Amino acid sequence: MGADATVPQGAVSAAVPAVGQVASLILGDGRLPVGGHAQSGGLEPALAAGLTPEEIPAYIIGRLRTVGLVEASAAVLARQAVTSLGSSAVLEDLADAYAARTPSAPLRAVSVQVGRGLARLARVLWGDAAPVLALHELAEPPRPVALGVVAALGGLDAAQTARISLYDDAQTVASAATKLIPIDPTEPVRWLLASTDTIEQMVERAVASTGTENLPATNAPQAEQWSLDHAARERRIFHA
Amino acid sequence: MPETRTASENSSAAPATAPLAAAAPAAAQRSSLRLGVAGPVGTGKSTLIASLCRHLSEELEIGVVTNDIYTDEDARLLRAAGVLPTERIVAVETGACPHTAIRDDVTPNLLVVEDLERKLAPLDLVIVESGGDNLTATFSPALVDAQIFCIDVAGGGDVARKGGPGIERADLLVVNKTDLGEHVGVDVEQMVADATAAREGRTVLALSQSDPASLETLMDWVRSVLTQHREQVWETTDPGPMAPHFHANGEEYSHDHNHPHTH
Repeated sequence: MGADATVPQGAVSAAVPAVGQVASLILGDGRLPVGGHAQSGGLEPALAAGLTPEEIPAYIIGRLRTVGLVEASAAVLARQAVTSLGSSAVLEDLADAYAARTPSAPLRAVSVQVGRGLARLARVLWGDAAPVLALHELAEPPRPVALGVVAALGGLDAAQTARISLYDDAQTVASAATKLIPIDPTEPVRWLLASTDTIEQMVERAVASTGTENLPATNAPQAEQWSLDHAARERRIFHA
Repeated sequence: MPETRTASENSSAAPATAPLAAAAPAAAQRSSLRLGVAGPVGTGKSTLIASLCRHLSEELEIGVVTNDIYTDEDARLLRAAGVLPTERIVAVETGACPHTAIRDDVTPNLLVVEDLERKLAPLDLVIVESGGDNLTATFSPALVDAQIFCIDVAGGGDVARKGGPGIERADLLVVNKTDLGEHVGVDVEQMVADATAAREGRTVLALSQSDPASLETLMDWVRSVLTQHREQVWETTDPGPMAPHFHANGEEYSHDHNHPHTH
């Protein structure tokens, strides 16, 4: 990094640490206005299918090691693509690769819902910067692709991008628990701390992705089935 | 804990971003009027919106966005009422946070509103129905240009007097189901008088589905706001999260700031 002279005009500078530190916190904050408040990371359908509160920490870990890793890796690649002035075609390929690894239609739709929220945020904050234009070429940007682009715009490095993606997944599940089951609100904080090692292991694997050809394809078939059940339900508190 | 970074990364700092670009298109650049309808559960918001569509759809191009805590029930109800082509009615699921979706993070609603405006251009009126919440939930001006707050006679005669941001400062307060007054022991005239007093001159409409004149007054109000919006003289106001109030020192506090003070 640091070879700014080689970064084509309109591309994002690879290393802007001061900006990246705060932007990293902003992107990991549930109060970010991208509509994340309607999501439970699959916890609501999981509980409906019989998952017990005691099993939630394991559920969080299970997500991190499967769909969490896929999303974090895709976010890292999207960040990399726009940092090195990738075209919208690269992002399109990445969106397709992610979709191929997300067999549940409701989960793909939810991902696009949050992805569009991120894309809107990028458009308002960064206007017609090249990465924003590339992102908006996608009719339906999934969350990891949009997150990777926003991470690039915010000056995050690859590891920060992966960590934000993974943390947000765990935090989405943990904070939804307080709305779904009777629980002391400090308990989800404990779960998040307990997921630290797994998050760091997955960060390490995610930053090792070099292209869609080695984008991890670790699925969570049970959670996918639950998401289908949830979409067909008459009464639900969370979107997914 | 801070990230560890190498010196070379730190030394290569360059301007990361373009200057802040203009935000989303302002109300003045849109032909459509975005109208919010908020109010507690069961006060008749969906029925009011069905009435708006039924009376205005011949003269105006209308789209509707519903917000539901549970699934898309309100959207289905409106589609079933047959007041608009079904593709003009879109549901947003707000999770457990119906107030968040119209106030703090309006992103999911904005995306759907913008989609409708693009797909059905040119629209005259986009109506956004809030998920039934409580007396303190009002729309952010970032989402709607004007808003109606709806309470009803059956909810109790003292609701209007109790006030709140929607009751006091929405662009229009509807006191709904006035025909039920005698059945629920509420003095409708008193309730409307209380509401009028609480609103310091802002418009109050006593509405009943069985009173065609009251419905026509509602339509005229919407037509009037739309005209003002088109002439770019409509001023969007924020009912705000809490009523401005006065302290002993005579200064006004509006509570849209964060510094603490005791009461």
